[in-house]
Amino acid sequence: MPLGPFTASEPLTMGVELELQLVSLSDFDLAAASPDLLDLLARAPFPGSVTPEITESMLEIATGVHRDHAAMLAQLTAIRDTLVRAGDRLNIGIGGGGTHPFQLWADRRIFRKPRFREVSALYGYLSKQFTVFGQHVHIGCADGDEALFLLHALHRYVPHFIALSASSPFVQGRDTLFQSARLNSISAFPLSGRAPLLLSWERFTEYFARMERTGVVKSMKDFYWDLRPKPEYGTIELRLCDTPLTVERAAALAGYLQAVCAMLRDRPDAVPTDDDYLVYGYNRFQACRFGLDGTVIIGPAADAVPIREDVLTTLRQVAPYAAALGAEGAMDLVYRITHEGSDATTLRRAYEARGVMEGVVDGALARFRAGEPVA
Amino acid sequence: MPTDWTVVAAGIAWPLTLVLAWALGEVARRWLRIPRISTYAITGFVLSLPGVGLLRGAPDDQVLLLAHVALGLVLFEAGYRINLRWFRANPWIALTAALEAILTFAAVEWVATAGGLAPLEARLTATLAMATSPATIVRVVNELRSSGQVTERILHLSALNCALAVLAFKVTVGLAPGGPDATVMDATRDVIWVLLGSILLGVLMGALVPAVLAAVRRTGQDSTLAYALAVILLVALDRALGLSPVVATLALGVVSRNRRVFLSPSERGFGALGAMLAVLLFVFIAVVVEWHQLRAGFALGSALVAARLLAKVAASSALAVLSGTSWRKGALTGVAMAPMSAVVILVLEETHARGLALLDTLAPLAAASLLVELAGPILVGRALRAAHEVERPEVAD
Repeated sequence: MPLGPFTASEPLTMGVELELQLVSLSDFDLAAASPDLLDLLARAPFPGSVTPEITESMLEIATGVHRDHAAMLAQLTAIRDTLVRAGDRLNIGIGGGGTHPFQLWADRRIFRKPRFREVSALYGYLSKQFTVFGQHVHIGCADGDEALFLLHALHRYVPHFIALSASSPFVQGRDTLFQSARLNSISAFPLSGRAPLLLSWERFTEYFARMERTGVVKSMKDFYWDLRPKPEYGTIELRLCDTPLTVERAAALAGYLQAVCAMLRDRPDAVPTDDDYLVYGYNRFQACRFGLDGTVIIGPAADAVPIREDVLTTLRQVAPYAAALGAEGAMDLVYRITHEGSDATTLRRAYEARGVMEGVVDGALARFRAGEPVA
Repeated sequence: MPTDWTVVAAGIAWPLTLVLAWALGEVARRWLRIPRISTYAITGFVLSLPGVGLLRGAPDDQVLLLAHVALGLVLFEAGYRINLRWFRANPWIALTAALEAILTFAAVEWVATAGGLAPLEARLTATLAMATSPATIVRVVNELRSSGQVTERILHLSALNCALAVLAFKVTVGLAPGGPDATVMDATRDVIWVLLGSILLGVLMGALVPAVLAAVRRTGQDSTLAYALAVILLVALDRALGLSPVVATLALGVVSRNRRVFLSPSERGFGALGAMLAVLLFVFIAVVVEWHQLRAGFALGSALVAARLLAKVAASSALAVLSGTSWRKGALTGVAMAPMSAVVILVLEETHARGLALLDTLAPLAAASLLVELAGPILVGRALRAAHEVERPEVAD
C-alpha cells in the first residue's frame, strides 16, 4: 500500500504515548495482566486511550492532542490515577521505567491478537526481548516538508532526550552500566536507527515506494527509526525516550520537545548535512551509556560538549519559545533533572539502599503512584 | 543375604513409592498432560490398596511430620504471595471469601445431613469442606507459570478460607460431646488461643529470621535455605504446643512478604527440596485414605464434592463483576478452588493421632478428599487454561 498524503495538522501541537509495566505484587516480576486490566478499564470512560502491547505485561496509553504543557500534564495525571485505581482493584502494580530490572524474556506471554502473533513468529526471541518500555512524543506539522525538516533538524538534540528520560540501567537482573539500556534492544531490529536524509515529502514518498517494492516494508510501522513521520496524524514521532518513572517527567519531555521544535521552525538553516550524521551513532551511544555525563560532538568544528551543559544551553535558547507556549513548568523540571539526575540514577540509588532488584521495582511503583517529589 | 523379603520390602516401601510416583508423574505430564501431583496421588492410593500391599498400615510419625513440613513449605509460599493491602483496596475479595465459605458450609452440611450423617459429623465435614488447599494451587500455579485474575484470586481466597476452615473445625471439635470444651465460651477461648498463638509464632519467626540473617551477615544473599529451616522449626513447635501449623506457616509467609523480604525466584517453591516433599505430601494424602473408607463414603463423597464445587462457583461468580473481573473468570475461580485434600487430610490425621478416629466416622469426607485430590489439580489446570492465564507452550516441554 503506497504511503498516503501527509495530513496537515496544527503546528507544535503534541501528543504522548507511554508504554507502562504491569507488575505482580507478589514477586514484583512482570505479570501478564493486560487482558484483565483492559476488561476492567472498559467499564468506564477512560481519560485518554489505552491499548494492549505485544506482551501481556505491557500496557500502552495515549493522550489526546494538546497545545500546552499544563493540559498535557492534567490528562496524564488523570490517566495515571485511573490506572492506579484499577490496578489496586486487581492487585496489579503499574509503573514506568524503560526496562523491568529483572524480568526474564523467556517468561513473557504474547498478547492474543493476530498481528502480535505474526510479529512474534517473525522475530522470535527479539519480540520478547522487546519487552522494553518507551515514551513516544508526537509533534504536529503543517505539511510533509516541514515534518521532514523538523525530523532531521532534531537529530542534534536526540542525545538530550535519551539522557533526560534514561530509566533503564538494569536488564535481566544486572546493572548494564548504561543509563538507557533499552535502546540497545531496539537496535537489534533490521530497520532501526535514523531515517534517510530526504527533505521533501515527494522524495520521501518515492523512497517508501522503492522500499515497499523490495517487500521489506508494508507500512511506516515496519520502520523502527528514532524519529519517524506519521503522515496519518500529520506529526513527527520521537521514539527514543525511555518511559520515565513519573507522568510529570513524561509531560516535561513533551514540553521540552515542543519548545525545541518551536525554536527550530525559526532557524531554517538548522537542516543537517550528511556530515552532521557522521557522529550521530557516537553521540547516541554517549547518551545511552553515560546519560547527562556523556559528551557529544557538535557541528562542523567537532566541538566536544558535555550533554548536561548542552541541555542547559538549549534551555536558555528556547526560554522565550517556552514562555510563549506556556511550557515553563516543563523547563523547570528539565532543569531539575540536569541537577538531580535522571531516573536511572534514582533506580541505582534504590538498588544501593535495598540490595535487591525487587526493591527497585517496589520503589518505582511507589514513585509512579505518588508522582515527582516536590523540589 | 536377607531371608525375610517382607522386611526388606517394608524398609524400602516409602522411598520406592516416591521414586515410582515421581517417574509416573513425569510420564503422565508429558503424555497425558495432567499435572504431576494427580499422578502422585494415584500412585500412593494404588500402592496402598490391600491387594498390592507395598505400603501397609498407617504411615508412621516421621512420615507424618515430613508431610506436615511439606505442607508448611507450600503454605509459607502461599502466604508469601498474599498482599494484605489488596483486601483493603478491594473489599469485595474478602467478601467473596466469606460468602464462599458460608455457602460451602451450608451446602455441604445440608447434603451430608440428607445423606445420613449425624448432625455433628455433618457439621465437621462441612467446616473442613470450606477449605481450599493452597498446596495443590501453589504447585499447579508454579508448574504452569500462570498469572492473571483467576491465579491471584485462588491464591488469596484459598489462604483465607483455609484459615477459616481450620478455626471452624477446632470450634466444632471443641464443642463436641466428650470434647474439651463445655461451653461456646470455652471453645471460643480455645480457638482464639490457637489463632493468636499460631499467628504470633509465625510473626515472631518472621522477625527472627531476618535478624539472624543480619547477624550472620547473609542479608544480601539468597535466604531460601534459612526460611526452609524456619518453616520446619515452626511446624514442629506448633505441633508440640497444640497450635495450628497451617495458620502459623501462612502467617510467616504473609509477614515475610509484607516486610519486603525477597526470596530468589529461581528457588520458588524451595527448589528441589520443595519438589521432593511435594511428592511425599501428595502420596501421603492418598495413602491415608483406606480402601474401605473410599467404598463406604464414595456415593455421599461424590455428592459432597459436587455440592461444594457448586457453592464455590456460585459465590465466586456472584461477586465477580463487583470485585472487578468478568463473571466467567469468577466462575473459573470457583472451579479452581476445588482442591482441599492436603489441609483436610492433615487436620483429620492429626485428630486421629489424638484418639479421634474421624477418618472412619467421616468416611464420605475422606472419599471426597481423595476424589478431589485426583481431579483437583486437573480442574485447576483446566480453569487456568480456560482463563487464558497460561502461555501455550511454543515447543512441547
